[in-house]
Formats: sequence, structure tokens, C-alpha cells
Amino acid sequence: MSRRILIVDDEDDIREVAQMSLEMVAGWEVIPARNGEEGLRLAAEHLPDAILLDVMMPGMDGPATALRLRDDPQTAGIPVILLTAKVQPADRRRFEGLEVAGVLAKPFDPMDLANQVSSTLGWPG
Amino acid sequence: MLVAGFPDAVAAFLARQLRGVTVEAAPDAAAARAQLARGGWSLVLLDSAIPGGGARGVLHALSDLPPVFLCVPRAGAEGGGGGASGADADVPGVAQTFVHPLDRQALVRQAAAVLGVDGASHPPGDGSPAPREGTADALADAVRNAWERFRGPVTARVDAIEEAAIAVLEGRLTEEGRRHAEREAHKLAGSVGTFGFAQGSRLAREVETLLQGNAPLGQAEALRLTDAAVALRRELARPPSPVTAPARQQSHAGQQGHAQPGGAARALPLLLVVDDDSELAERITMEAGGRAMRTRIARDVSQARVAVSDERPAAVLLDLSFEGDRRGGLELLRELSAHVPPVPVVVLTGSGAFADRVEVARLGGVGFLQKPVSPATAVDAVSGVLHRGQQRRSCILAVDDDPVILDAVQRLLEPAGVEVNVLGDPERFWDSLEEVCPDAVLLDIDMPSVGGIELCRVMRNDARWSATPVIFLTARTEAETVQRVFAAGADDYVAKPFVGPELVTRVTNRLERVQLHRALADSDPLTGVANRRRSEELMGQLLHLAVRNKKPFALALLDLDHFKRINDRHGHGMGDEVLRRVARLLERGFRAEDVVARWGGEEFVVGMFGMDKDDAVQRLEAVLEQLRAEPFEMAGAEPLRVSFSAGIAQFPVDGADLPALYRVADATLYQAKEAGRSRVLPAGWTPERPDPAAQVDVVVVEDDPALARLLLHSLETRGYTSRWIADGREAADALTGSRPSLRARLVLLDIDLPGMDGHAVLRRLSRDRVLERTRVIVLTVRAHEAEVVQALEEGAFDHVSKPFSVPILLHRIRRAMVA
Repeated sequence: MSRRILIVDDEDDIREVAQMSLEMVAGWEVIPARNGEEGLRLAAEHLPDAILLDVMMPGMDGPATALRLRDDPQTAGIPVILLTAKVQPADRRRFEGLEVAGVLAKPFDPMDLANQVSSTLGWPG
Repeated sequence: MLVAGFPDAVAAFLARQLRGVTVEAAPDAAAARAQLARGGWSLVLLDSAIPGGGARGVLHALSDLPPVFLCVPRAGAEGGGGGASGADADVPGVAQTFVHPLDRQALVRQAAAVLGVDGASHPPGDGSPAPREGTADALADAVRNAWERFRGPVTARVDAIEEAAIAVLEGRLTEEGRRHAEREAHKLAGSVGTFGFAQGSRLAREVETLLQGNAPLGQAEALRLTDAAVALRRELARPPSPVTAPARQQSHAGQQGHAQPGGAARALPLLLVVDDDSELAERITMEAGGRAMRTRIARDVSQARVAVSDERPAAVLLDLSFEGDRRGGLELLRELSAHVPPVPVVVLTGSGAFADRVEVARLGGVGFLQKPVSPATAVDAVSGVLHRGQQRRSCILAVDDDPVILDAVQRLLEPAGVEVNVLGDPERFWDSLEEVCPDAVLLDIDMPSVGGIELCRVMRNDARWSATPVIFLTARTEAETVQRVFAAGADDYVAKPFVGPELVTRVTNRLERVQLHRALADSDPLTGVANRRRSEELMGQLLHLAVRNKKPFALALLDLDHFKRINDRHGHGMGDEVLRRVARLLERGFRAEDVVARWGGEEFVVGMFGMDKDDAVQRLEAVLEQLRAEPFEMAGAEPLRVSFSAGIAQFPVDGADLPALYRVADATLYQAKEAGRSRVLPAGWTPERPDPAAQVDVVVVEDDPALARLLLHSLETRGYTSRWIADGREAADALTGSRPSLRARLVLLDIDLPGMDGHAVLRRLSRDRVLERTRVIVLTVRAHEAEVVQALEEGAFDHVSKPFSVPILLHRIRRAMVA
């Protein structure tokens, strides 16, 4: 089954590697977005199967974007995975209220990212 | 089809989707023009913003163009692919315009139509993340290429850290500047590991932690920031470690491949962390990522079972201090140990009770750690366990004239990881023995021509084979035969017809002993690195190689600082853990061809072929920085900070053989201890003397005390002698005259100085011919171009603008001194 993933990250290098990784390893279709606003628009437009969302972005950050996705009935059902380089207790409490499907640590191993996403979402691997 | 100005992944994607189409990529306009000029293209996909000239720059004045698909930035809010957008519509030859972000399915359809191929034959994905053949290599290449493109901007983030450090020293770090540096460190921490710089991520995380919050930052923090920035820059300048390990080769031909599930992508060992303490689990994940391990986290026993059934882990780290479900944890341990072969489990517990240890060992646990435990220690324990399992594949030689028996032996032992070489003709026994060099031999007792007992005697009479285990296969188990077998020098026998488990157990037991003996004879039992005997042997070989190839060889001797105090205050267990950590750091910090050894007590030795003293100093400093950066966590006490001192001698300048090099390295180590410990010094280092007619390596003429301290610290830790003078006139007086009170190989000269400005100092040095023996690097403020030109005209050797990066400055200093 073809999967479509939206990646929202302001860092060009990481967004690009994540995209290559998911396309090449899993063969998924990847839609890149450079910030929260673009992510919201592309999510509504493409209705992806899952959204990978960087936590620390300028402007609308990951948690804020996740809340907006929840508020829109069109995108409310799409599972969201947060990507973060820092998992502090305070941050984790903030993530808890977001009902995200999971939190993945950065840096990630490009060879393993698709596996991590699949196992977080309970997709058959 | 040419794909110009897009990430490599786009070309790779199209190549997969468009069957029978050759897809090539051009990263920039120049490459695209060159490719197009070659001709023979059927289609070009071009990004309008391709670096080096844009789409027009590519297509300008080229004749005979194939159809072009142009990809333009989104203007306003029009939908998906297709539809020309004004400005670019008149680029010549454009057949179709797409809008970013690329609608890939539409692109594939259109391209397939133009190229006349089937574009839908290959489904875009089957939902399963199992990678295809060759994917690992392709992805590794793509990641490497991406790093080449991004290394500039990524490395530039280190500047922010360095600027913050200098601002701290100058007392002008603003809240905004601090947050900016923290953000940059955070970004580095989250990204460079992905490109293969696990250590870089760790260093950046250390910086981030240091900058977090509002605790005041002083000189000590500034120096740590600078040190971390230096180490980061050094790390990022290295070639990245490959992001994916290549699939393990089958060790010999003729055997049917036992393909690992998942293939190449799963070549990195998987560590399953079973822990309800998610913070610890995540920190362990980060740490393991830096040691080429993949991790899965299971929060409870049932999640762990699911993970194990998904993919068999190489090792499990099991936290038994689980609230409530201790019994479940023990049950899981029992299950994992019952796997064939068993899954090694390292157990973490809250209590160190002996009964617990016994229970864990009884259920098959291979390691035991008591909390609190640092992520580094936990992962050390796991990598020790993995290391044990990764030893060379054992091989045996089985001799029997019955092919059915040989086949059975092969079938039983190969799944247990033993390479089986079979021989049906005992006459060829000796040749096979020499060819195979088996770790153990299986012999049939009754064979035509030569019997097993005779073969065994022959082996025992040759020193090379006298200790190799010999196991007999025999249908005769009467006492007399058994006695003859042992009298001939056999180690064991298995009765025919044999049942699988017995043969496997007896053979693998012997093989494990062989491996163990081999390892014990060569390695230090506490740390696992080479022992003195083995390392002398290896370094002797390297030295020999150095003589023959006229290459340098560096010998480093290092000794932990205040080790006795650690043992006295925290117990020998802690001391042992420190030694193990240092051994791990050294192993990681050096190349596989370097020799890392423990020579007893708290003394380690590293032998490096092809490296001179300066290279070796840098390598060891990196290890020292790492050791200092990761204090040992102590139960209910301040974390324990550990450091070492080291001395380095180089062949042939400091000694012609190992004993001579050792003596020089030892004397230098003593100097390092005397000079205040926690440092790495090359042989020939001379301490700064208070002698009035001093000769030093570097004189720093700088009126800002904070910056001067930073410079002196950087110079000192790299073994340079230095002197600081704040006033221009004073510096000029000291360095000139018929009997100067100070001689230097190099002067770092600030331009804005009290007393006499830098230009005037430079002119005096020039007039007095000091510049004939002393080089000058002027420190200027960025963007004062005229000042630089003037200084160079006045005789300066080089200039560095402020704020500068310490490693770059040190590089320039080194260059100026050797020039």
C-alpha cells in the first residue's frame, strides 16, 4: 500500500535527508514543508497518512502546528510524530497534551527512520 | 532523462518509477550545461532556481534541446502540478511547468507520456519499510552528497558558539546572543548525528546544556564552550562515519546464504531498551546512536515481547527496577535466554543485592548494572556483550569417509554459526589442516587407509596443532576404544548415531573455550583492550613498517589523574568502571590499525603508525575532551570528573625503538603531570621559564585580558610556550634592541593597543630585523581591509580577523611557525 508522508522541518539538510530516507528505504511518497504554515496548507491539500513534525521551528513551532492540525476536522485524524533533539521533562508534559502518535529523537539514523515511523504508528513492517 | 538542480533523491525516485529510462543528475547550472552539450537526452527536468545561473543560465544558447520540464516556486496559491506561471513561461523549450513542492505522481505521469514508457508499472510503495537491494548503498551515497552540500552552512553554526564564548570573556554576551547560540547548538545536536557525526551531536548537546537556563556564565564556562567548539569543528572536518554499515559478507563460498531479515539496512545491531523510565531510555538511545547501534524502546514487558517478535534484537537492556512488574521482567529475561541462540540481556536494577545478581545470572542475564547508571556506562556494558558475540566465526574441519555423516555435521553446526569444512579422504588430511587452520577437528575413528586415532597422534606431535581440540565421532563406545581415543590426545567424543543438540553443544563448548583462551592471552581482562605482551608485539610490527616505509610512528603513554583518590574515595568498583570507560573512549578515538593497550594500573599506551607528534596530540586531546565532558554519575553525590595526562614520543626523532620511545614518552608524561595534569604534551615540550631572556613560542600582544587568557589557554593546552604583554610599547621594547629580553618564534599582535599601536610595533620589529627570526600574525577587526593591507606591507606574515575561531587561529599559527 502506498503511503504518503508530510515532513515539516525548517532545516533544509534534515528535511532533505529525511525525505530521501523515507523515499529510498520505504518507497513512500514524501511531501516536504519548510514551516508550520506551509505544513498546515499541504496537510489539508494532500491529506497524508502521517505527519513528521519538527518541534523547534521559528514562527509556528511543532506543538503549535500539531494543535492547529487537531483543530481542523479535515486533518484531525492524521497521526502526528514529533521530531526533537531535546526531550526535557517540561517539553514532555507539553507533548502529552497534544495526543501525538509518538516522539522520535534527533539525530535519527537515515537507514532506520522508516522503521521507527512504522513501528511508532503500528504499521506492518 | 537529466534531472538538474534537484536533490539526488528526486533522480533516484524517477529512476525507480520510470522503467527503462536512464536518469542522471546535475547539481548545478555548469554541470547541467556540460551534460546537455553532450546530447542524446529525451527529457530534462530543471529547477528554475538551479544554483549557478538559474534555468535561463542552463538553457541559454543551447540548440537541439529536448523537451524541458521546468519547476518554479509557488506563486500565490494555485494548486498542484501543471500550468505555466508568467515569468518563466518564455524560457525556451519549456514543455511543461511544475510548481514546488513537486507533485511527484503528476511528474511521473507526464514524464512517462513524453518518454513513451510505462510510468505506473512500479508501485510507489508497498507500505513496508523493508529496503530493497542496494538501497543502503544508494542512501549512504545520497546522505554523503547531501553532507557535501550542507557542510558549509552547518559548520557555520559553530561560529555562533564561538562568538558566544568570546562574548562571555568580554562580558558582553546578551540574552539574545545566548539564546541564539543555544538554538544553534540545539540544531547541531539534532542534525549532525544523522550525517554520521555522533560525537558532534554529543558535543553540541553539551554546549546546549551549558547555555540553557539563566545561570551566569564565567570564564570556566567560556573555556568549555571554546573547547567544545574546537572539538566540534575538528569533528565536522573529518569524513563522516558511514551512516549505514555494509551488509556482512558471507565468510566463505559454497554455503547457502543465511540472509538476515531486512538485509543491509539491518546490519547495525539492534538494542532493545526495556524501561519505563523514558528519560533514561531516550538518553540511552542517543548514546547508542553514537556507537553504531539501532535502538527500540519498550515501556513494558508486553511491548518488549512485540518488539522481539518483530525483529530479534542483538542485545536487550532490561530495567528491573520497574514499578510493580518485577516478576514480568524476570519472566521476560527467562524467555530471552531460552531463545536459540539466546538473546543477551544486560539487567539494570535499583538494588545491588547479591540475591538479585544470583537470580539474574540463574535466569541467563549476561550483565548486571546497578542504578543510577549513566547512559554511557549502560551502553558500554551492551557493546561489551555485543563485542563478545562478534568474534571471528569459528571454523572446524570434519573428517569422515561417510558423506551422510559429513552432511549431517554440516547441517547441524552451520546454523549454530560454525564454519564447517568437510573432508572425505583422510589421505588429504594434512593439506586440509594447513589450508583451513581449524579451531577444532572432528574425526571419525574408523576410516579406510588411515584411522582417526592415527590422525590425532600426528596432530599432537606437531606443536602448531598440539592444543587444537579434537573430538571423535564413534559408533564404538566400549571402554577400551574410549580409552584409546583419549590416549591418542583427543579432547572429547560423541557417540554415533549422534543427536543434534549433543554434537552442537560439545563442539560449540570447545570452540568457546578456544576463543576465550585466545582473547585472554591477548587482552587485558578488565578493559578488553590489548595487554602489554600483545601490544608490544603489534607495535613492534608497526615500528617495523615505519622503518621500511620511512613513516613516522607515535607512541602515547597516558595515565589517569588522581586515580588512587578515585579508588580510595569511591571504591575499586568505580575505579574499574573509569578504566573501562577510558579504554572504550580510546578504542573509539583511534583507528582500527592503531594499537590501544593497558599496561597495568592506570597506565594506557597508544601506538599510531604514520602519525607525527602533533597529530597524536590532537587525537588524544579529543579523547581527553570527551572524558572531561562526560562525568560519571554517582548515587547521591556530585558527578565524578576524570581526566588523564599524556606524553607522546615520535619515531625516529625521539627514539629508535620501543624502549627508547617509551622512556621519552614517560618523561614527557611526567612533565605533563608537573605542569598541572589533564593535558597532552609532545616530547621536547619546554615549560615557560621565568628567565628574563626567555625564548618562547608565542608572544601575545593584546590589551584585552579576557581574550588574552583565552589565547594563552589555547596555546598552553597544545604545548606551546607563551607570554602575554598588554602594552604595545612594552612589547616592542622587550622584543627589540641588541639584547632583547624576550625572543619569540611568533608574535600575535593586536592592532588597537595602548602605548603604541600595532602598526608602530610592527615597524619597530621590522627596523630592528626581528622579523627575520620572528613571524607576526596581526589580529584585526573584521572589515578593516585597509588595516590588513597596511600590516602586511609593514612585514606581518599573516592576519586573522576578530572575532576569530580558535582552531583556525591555531592552524595559522602552526603554518606560520613551519613556513
